[in-house]
Amino acid sequence: MASDDIDRSTRLALYRSQVEIRLLEKRAYDLFLQNLVKGTSHLSLGQEAVAAGFATAMRPDDYTYCTYRGHSHTLARGAPMVGVLGELMGRRCGLMGGKGGSMHLTSVPHGVMGSYAIVGAHLPVAAGAAWSAQLRGSGQVAVCFFGDGTCNIGAFHEALNFAAVWKLPVIFACENNQYMEYTPIRSVTAVQHPAADRAAAYGLERIIVDGNDADAVYRKARESIEKARGGGGPSLIEAMTYRTSGHSRADPAKYRPPGELEEWTKRDPIALYRARLLELGFDEGDLRAVDSAVQRAVDEATEGAKASPPPALEVISRDLWADGGSSWRN
Amino acid sequence: MDVVMPQLGETVKEGTVTAWHKKPGEKVLAGERLFEVTTDKVDTEVPAPASGVLAQIFVAEGDTVPVGARLALIEEEAGAAAAEGSRLSPVVRKLLDEHGLDPAQIRGTGAEGRITRRDVLERLERHKAPADEPRRMALSKIRKRTAEQMALSWRTIPHVLQAVEVDFHAVDQARGALTYLPFVAVAVCKALAEFPAVNATFEGDSLLLHPRVNLGIAVDLGAEGLIVPVVKDAAQKKLPELARAIQALAEKARASRLVPDDLTEATYTISNSGRFGTLLTAPIINPPQVAILSTDAVVKKPVVVGDAVVVRPVGVLAQSFDHRAFDGAYSAAFLRRLKQILESENWSAALASRDAEGA
Amino acid sequence: MAELTYREAVAAGIAQEMERDERVVFLGEDVAAAGGVFKTTIGLLEKFGPRRVRDTPISEQAIVGAAMGAAMTGLRPIAEIMFSDFFAVCWDMIANEIAKARYMCAGQLTLPLVIRTANGSGSRFGAQHSQSVENWAMAVPGLKVVAPSTPADVKGLLAAAVRDPDPVIFFEHKGLYATKGEVPDGEYVDQLGTAKVLRQGSDATIVALAAMVPRALQAAQRLEQEGISATVVDLRSLVPLDTRTLLAETKKTGRLYTVEENPRLCGWGAEIASIVAEEAFYDLDGPIVRITTPHVPLPAADALEDNTVPTVERIVETIRRTAG
Repeated sequence: MASDDIDRSTRLALYRSQVEIRLLEKRAYDLFLQNLVKGTSHLSLGQEAVAAGFATAMRPDDYTYCTYRGHSHTLARGAPMVGVLGELMGRRCGLMGGKGGSMHLTSVPHGVMGSYAIVGAHLPVAAGAAWSAQLRGSGQVAVCFFGDGTCNIGAFHEALNFAAVWKLPVIFACENNQYMEYTPIRSVTAVQHPAADRAAAYGLERIIVDGNDADAVYRKARESIEKARGGGGPSLIEAMTYRTSGHSRADPAKYRPPGELEEWTKRDPIALYRARLLELGFDEGDLRAVDSAVQRAVDEATEGAKASPPPALEVISRDLWADGGSSWRN
Repeated sequence: MDVVMPQLGETVKEGTVTAWHKKPGEKVLAGERLFEVTTDKVDTEVPAPASGVLAQIFVAEGDTVPVGARLALIEEEAGAAAAEGSRLSPVVRKLLDEHGLDPAQIRGTGAEGRITRRDVLERLERHKAPADEPRRMALSKIRKRTAEQMALSWRTIPHVLQAVEVDFHAVDQARGALTYLPFVAVAVCKALAEFPAVNATFEGDSLLLHPRVNLGIAVDLGAEGLIVPVVKDAAQKKLPELARAIQALAEKARASRLVPDDLTEATYTISNSGRFGTLLTAPIINPPQVAILSTDAVVKKPVVVGDAVVVRPVGVLAQSFDHRAFDGAYSAAFLRRLKQILESENWSAALASRDAEGA
Repeated sequence: MAELTYREAVAAGIAQEMERDERVVFLGEDVAAAGGVFKTTIGLLEKFGPRRVRDTPISEQAIVGAAMGAAMTGLRPIAEIMFSDFFAVCWDMIANEIAKARYMCAGQLTLPLVIRTANGSGSRFGAQHSQSVENWAMAVPGLKVVAPSTPADVKGLLAAAVRDPDPVIFFEHKGLYATKGEVPDGEYVDQLGTAKVLRQGSDATIVALAAMVPRALQAAQRLEQEGISATVVDLRSLVPLDTRTLLAETKKTGRLYTVEENPRLCGWGAEIASIVAEEAFYDLDGPIVRITTPHVPLPAADALEDNTVPTVERIVETIRRTAG
């Protein structure tokens, strides 16, 4: 184990954050099966450590950019649970009042500058936010989360090169969960590690981290964020992880080879972290207290979201323009 | 395409063709005036539903048929209208209609002899008389109809005019933003209850005394003429509802959205000239009604109350009545009662009241 | 007043806004050190320095994406896409991301950015560097669309676009870069969503955009000699659209013609024609006629290119033939 550069309260925060994500995503899954969550939903079950690790290392005014698999990152930055569930359920209390849906969770007050549904689209956008921070001298950084599949799309290449040339304070964090939707990433990528093996192409360090170890993620996140904040430029980090649910909806993920899920479940990030905390002398009762408190919070948020009405129809024509309207003529 | 007898009112079951404007074999344009119908007391012009040739007429002028009955047949020709460049563009149609022009009188200089907007505007310009010569102005449809009815009324009904001067003080105290008209209307309904012969219509040589008051309210459409929409069963309405009903009808009239049902079965008419500032008007009765009331300007005047001279809002109510239906004494009594109601009714209470349905 | 070329007016407009507001920044390919491939941004790097005026790699998605990220975090970026044809390369950023971000997050984000580009034909560059794609932008809800025809309008509308809190796609016409015109001195800001009536007539109303505007004016002069008096309206903005002027000017003459450089199908004139047919039907003295480039890619040879896009002759002939 690394020397204890992570204090107790940070570890508790890391633990709590992962549990929040786990319990909320499970609830989202149940609600989806009850047809209360409509459309589609991409869950981060099994990938909690990445979101928790980075968010805990970020400053409140840092920027998060994530994909349609973004509930975890949105929650980890502190967005309210009822807002997340409400948005998934298309209710008025949703973070965006039902306008965006599961794939576009946004909470600017918490630094979540959008969840993006077109693969790769947000990488250049994150670079732009980093450029803005750099130009304004604010010390803010942008952390951009994306999947292994994103590494093969054009915008990835453009954004990485752009960020490297301009030395922008942006961390590109690839959550390699082994699958590009339903296809194993290895079978469609020219290199073994879709992100890390391309870092050299942009003059960047090859960084691979155990994405199921919250401490490891936290340390690497802290290091790269500090580097960026200090003017050291961008980083490309590949976090190895696994999603225990399907790509989306009720995808039973039959494309997994037998035994793979079981292997990765042994490395469940929360189970691992729990064990470590107990080893480090944390009280089991405290941990269970966190679990109960989070469950209560998820339950409350669920009831709150269920009680919230659908959005008023008049929002259909609102907020296209900065003046709040959508008129194109006089 | 069949031309059928239209339904010109909810309760109308049949109609009489009074005039055909086209002969069999003549070309017809969709929207052009094709025939006229009378139902009960409403006369309506009906446009052709399609363009083509009027192939056959099945119902002659003067015949009465049920609603929906086949009146004529138009053989549609896709190119019929195009044939001699008689295609009229939307703006040309609009201008022709507005100025009462006949396209046949205008030479078309457009492609294939088409009448263009410029052609119509130039014709209007050419026929605009120089300033020192008299200018001919065609009468609009509504004005023509009004003219005919006025003449008929004057010719057949022996009109007598009687007037009373009314102190509108009590009304003024209560009315707030409302005009005097709804108050007069309420008072008229009450007075008519006591003088049934005034709320009557002529049928042959008897008077039909009506239990309900269908109040016609004359609306001035400016250059277009006069129209009299009817508030049905006005006596059953409390003052606020009656005020609203009158307002709604007036708006409908000005927006040209009145339907035939709005114009039928009046038993008494009020002609409100108040805003023109006149002292007295001798209105013309709408047959088969037997009377009509004119309300003129209400102005502050010195009046004697008790032995003192005070300033009061005063207006003249003048009724023209049909001397065949009743005599001067009866009419005068009606007017006196009307005056009394206006001057002594509890108008605040009337304003606060609601109809049975809680309107 | 000073006489500027259309391209000088671009630099003047950007400079005016960058001077006024330090949050305005500018990025694009070859825009800084080289002053732009069309020489539209000469002097900006010297004046405002390398922090605010930046050259980028050939990365349209990164350019426009970065503009989006910067706009949502406190800057007011102007991004250049060298040829409007290249919008196809970064169309996801423009149509899916920039146009929709504010709506999808219910107003949490605002994107005060301008994407300026060189649009239009006449340079013999061939089909992939000569298109007029303003109608593409018009078709996506969430984008404002501007296309000036004169140097004064370039400066004034660019200033207005930069000051607008919403994404504006600013279509310069590469064929007009060398044209000259009077531009007001000092701070000059025009208004988006306003068309200009350049010439008043009584028989026909011609609505045109960008490089088609001078052609419409020339056609109107020739038609006048033949007894057809035409109004010419420079539309200037597709979104917001000045429907009030369009309807009023069409009602005055009863005839509407559009002159469009974009290819026929779903060109901007189709929308204008639809609006006028619906809302001014009873004032029309004849069918609405669109004069457009035919529905083909643009050929490269000068003799071909010049006769594909509407010419003054074609405008005159069409109106003469159909005005009766």
